[in-house]
Amino acid sequence: MILIIAEHREGKLTANSKELVVFAQRAGRDLGMPVQALVLGSAGVDLEMLSTAKIERILTIDDARLNTYDPDAWVHALKTLTDQRSPALIVAGHTTQGMDFMPRLAVALRKPLVAGCVDYAKIGDHLVLTRQVFNAKMNLKVMPKNGGPFLATLVPGSFPGDEIEMGGTPEREALPVDLTKIPVRRRSLGVSKASKGNVDLASASVIVAGGRGLKQKENFSLISELADALGGAVGASRPVVDAEWLPREYQIGSSGQTVSPKLYVAVGISGAIQHLVGMQNARCIVAINKDPEAPIFKVAHYGIVDDLFKVVPALTKLVRDLRG
Amino acid sequence: MKIFSCIKPVIDPATRLVINESKTWIKTQDATFIASEADNYALEEALRLREKHNGEVVSLSLGGEEAAKVLRAGLAMGADRAIQISDTNLRGATEFNIAETLARAIEKDGGADLVLAGVQSDDLGTGATGVMLAEFLGWSHATVAIAISANPEGKMVQVERELEGGVIESVELTLPAVVTIQYGANQPRYASLKGIMAAKKKPFVVWSPGDVGVAASDPMLEVKELVVPEKKSRVEILSGTPEESVTLLVEKLRKEAKVL
Repeated sequence: MILIIAEHREGKLTANSKELVVFAQRAGRDLGMPVQALVLGSAGVDLEMLSTAKIERILTIDDARLNTYDPDAWVHALKTLTDQRSPALIVAGHTTQGMDFMPRLAVALRKPLVAGCVDYAKIGDHLVLTRQVFNAKMNLKVMPKNGGPFLATLVPGSFPGDEIEMGGTPEREALPVDLTKIPVRRRSLGVSKASKGNVDLASASVIVAGGRGLKQKENFSLISELADALGGAVGASRPVVDAEWLPREYQIGSSGQTVSPKLYVAVGISGAIQHLVGMQNARCIVAINKDPEAPIFKVAHYGIVDDLFKVVPALTKLVRDLRG
Repeated sequence: MKIFSCIKPVIDPATRLVINESKTWIKTQDATFIASEADNYALEEALRLREKHNGEVVSLSLGGEEAAKVLRAGLAMGADRAIQISDTNLRGATEFNIAETLARAIEKDGGADLVLAGVQSDDLGTGATGVMLAEFLGWSHATVAIAISANPEGKMVQVERELEGGVIESVELTLPAVVTIQYGANQPRYASLKGIMAAKKKPFVVWSPGDVGVAASDPMLEVKELVVPEKKSRVEILSGTPEESVTLLVEKLRKEAKVL
């Protein structure tokens, strides 16, 4: 059995949970294994997406300790479930939550974890998983040894959520797990949202974003001038924000804003996966970077491999001239 | 407070990565190793906590000469002493094996109040090692910290965690604990000349994996192949002089993509 651990936030299953189902449906077919989905702390969570998916079963575990995320409670519940049901493969999202408990679970079970998977292949009777390494510049293909279960986390966006097979009638089962004896040593004191200020990139139709390739803060004017000429907004990749060239609210990516403008111009941005997940749905992506190997070119529609300090001023001038 | 800072030596990501002959990893011969970037933020955070609460910062690393190098840099930045687990046979080592070895070394050194490590490394980059380390030690943990503060009694820490979509979660941990530090959490200090000189006189111990009680490790994962990702790319590269390429680009944006 392939077990996926669905993630939810504010009463909704995340988009990544759907991608986990897609992966499990495909791998399940290849391996001849049924798929079951587990929701921890399911009270008040809308399970509609799972309840019509073509999977065998929806498992839920509910306990006061699962109302707020706590890795100790998660690991204990999952270890109990694994001991009882012996899944061959346990899959969660490669998200801040997934990567907060899956490594602990792997050690608790003394089983391998293949973290950061983007693809898989079936070779013989085995799954060979492709994981991203060296900031997505390389892919490492690995095969878990020594029999199951093994664990894997999937990078959000690696499997197409909209290719989920629906039309199933999974049974529901609530598993009793006693978590009362687990000592509390991590307490969540609450969540807050970093202020977006006046920067609402989500509604911008044109975004010009700058990255580390700009070398220093002063050079960021190249980005704002091009954005001005195009009538668009300015965005930034994480290193720019970390270096305090721009405030945090300009950050685009998994820990910043997710955007889908009509035109996205990435300047001097190499394209770490965390950035790509925040902008890859833009209708038209232009990348300007002097490194032809930069991952940004994999999601771009048009690319210019050249010195941005020459290309950007030329582009700004041309756009200004055209717009008179 | 006694704080460990874990530092992983990685091949400098700014250099060209060359796949080795057996296609299982990057060629390490002649490669330049540096401390994995996020581990510098972890060390800086450890030094700031020591400045506030006294105690000591012990830097810990696993590997051959490259580990000794990043540990010396850590001592120059201000760590009080260093422990190197000397292992030149790390090829194929997974986060699991690394975490187990680090945990046994921390135990051999008498434990600690807090272990800090970077949120992820610049090679494997999965962010698993710190969390696994916590489980091997049997301690609490928190990941992706952008701020950390200890209560005056040194029994608890409060950690701000950076989640997806700009959400910050605040958690309180009972010590001892492992916390992984996010990129950009602080501005790591540079080693001063004085610091570099002082580092030479600081205690530096070298243990073998056997010294900390770790037998030959089973990586549990078989590496099949390291490859450059296939370009499933749709990109059209526009070449020429800067003027030519931008002229072509604007034409494409207007006529093909119809976004201008």
